[in-house]
Amino acid sequence: MNLVTILVMGLVTLALGTTLSLRAPERLRPAAEFTLRQLAPLALQLPLAILLASFLSELLPPAAIAGLFGRESGPWGIVLAALVGGALPGGPMASFPIAVFLWQAGAGPAQTVALLAGWSVFALHRVIIFELPIMGWRFSALRLLACAPLPVLAGLAAALLIRLTGVSLSP
Amino acid sequence: MSPSSPRREAGVRGWLRNAFRGPTLVFAGGSLIAGIAVVQLRGTERATAAIVDAAAMSLGVLPQVVLGLMLGAVLQQLVPHETVGRYLGRESGLRGLVVGTLLGCVTPGGPFASFPIVYALFVAGAEAATLVTYLAAWALIGVNRMIVWELPFMGAEFAVFRWLICLPLPLLAGLLARAIVTRTRLKPEAPEAGR
Repeated sequence: MNLVTILVMGLVTLALGTTLSLRAPERLRPAAEFTLRQLAPLALQLPLAILLASFLSELLPPAAIAGLFGRESGPWGIVLAALVGGALPGGPMASFPIAVFLWQAGAGPAQTVALLAGWSVFALHRVIIFELPIMGWRFSALRLLACAPLPVLAGLAAALLIRLTGVSLSP
Repeated sequence: MSPSSPRREAGVRGWLRNAFRGPTLVFAGGSLIAGIAVVQLRGTERATAAIVDAAAMSLGVLPQVVLGLMLGAVLQQLVPHETVGRYLGRESGLRGLVVGTLLGCVTPGGPFASFPIVYALFVAGAEAATLVTYLAAWALIGVNRMIVWELPFMGAEFAVFRWLICLPLPLLAGLLARAIVTRTRLKPEAPEAGR
């Protein structure tokens, strides 16, 4: 499974890289530099972030997670997951390990969808660091208001789709 | 290229300085405190298991994240931000929302890459609802983020499922934003240039 994903991604990267080198060879170097620049902090931070999430998941009892966010937690579990997702601090490096450990500890798929959607839309660190200073508070308020219902809607739609199609998602 | 990207420094020292920034210390300190708490509350055995779990996940995830970063970097060069801006600034109305969804979906890179384009378009008079849709699409159904982060951590099945669920939502956010602008007193104005 993992190997297939890696293989597909490798082939797509190779194909796009070849396209780039044929169409705009001078842009290959910036692409390589960008990758290396992002890779340096990542190689150290990602394992540490995963370790932190792993320790935290030991501290939270799985029964409590299943009770709050489990398949049986229903719409309130979806609302709670969306709120928790919105409050998750930090970028994808911090949030995805938390999401995956919660999912493995018994959070339902619809609740996990709501959690990730909540984090994607609200991401408070992004609002404070990038959006407020660049776009101003009126735009931020408009965007946050317009996006506020989305995570819960995503969770409810996921629950409905799972019930209708019987698709089984498990970690 | 972007205002907040770290300064480039040559050699091992540059790499180290780049790697040991704030988040590294936060994650390291947090891991230390949480690790001590696990040892105290759950015992050494559970702490060891947590470390083994984390190591296994790191090994599984890192190659995919690295590949995803390479893919994103190439994509960013193939789809320059100026192109995104040109298409986004031209459209409004329902077409604007559809175009905003499509462009948000394919825009690679983090927030430092996206907000400057959005600001430029906003100042140039683009409709706020289009920009709300664009940002929501970039956050919710951005293909780049899905490839770099969601596929490795959550697996293809979950990632595709969530993507399909979220596909219509940015459009909805745009419609809501338009309703808010026409019906309430919240009318966003571009902040003064040069801020």
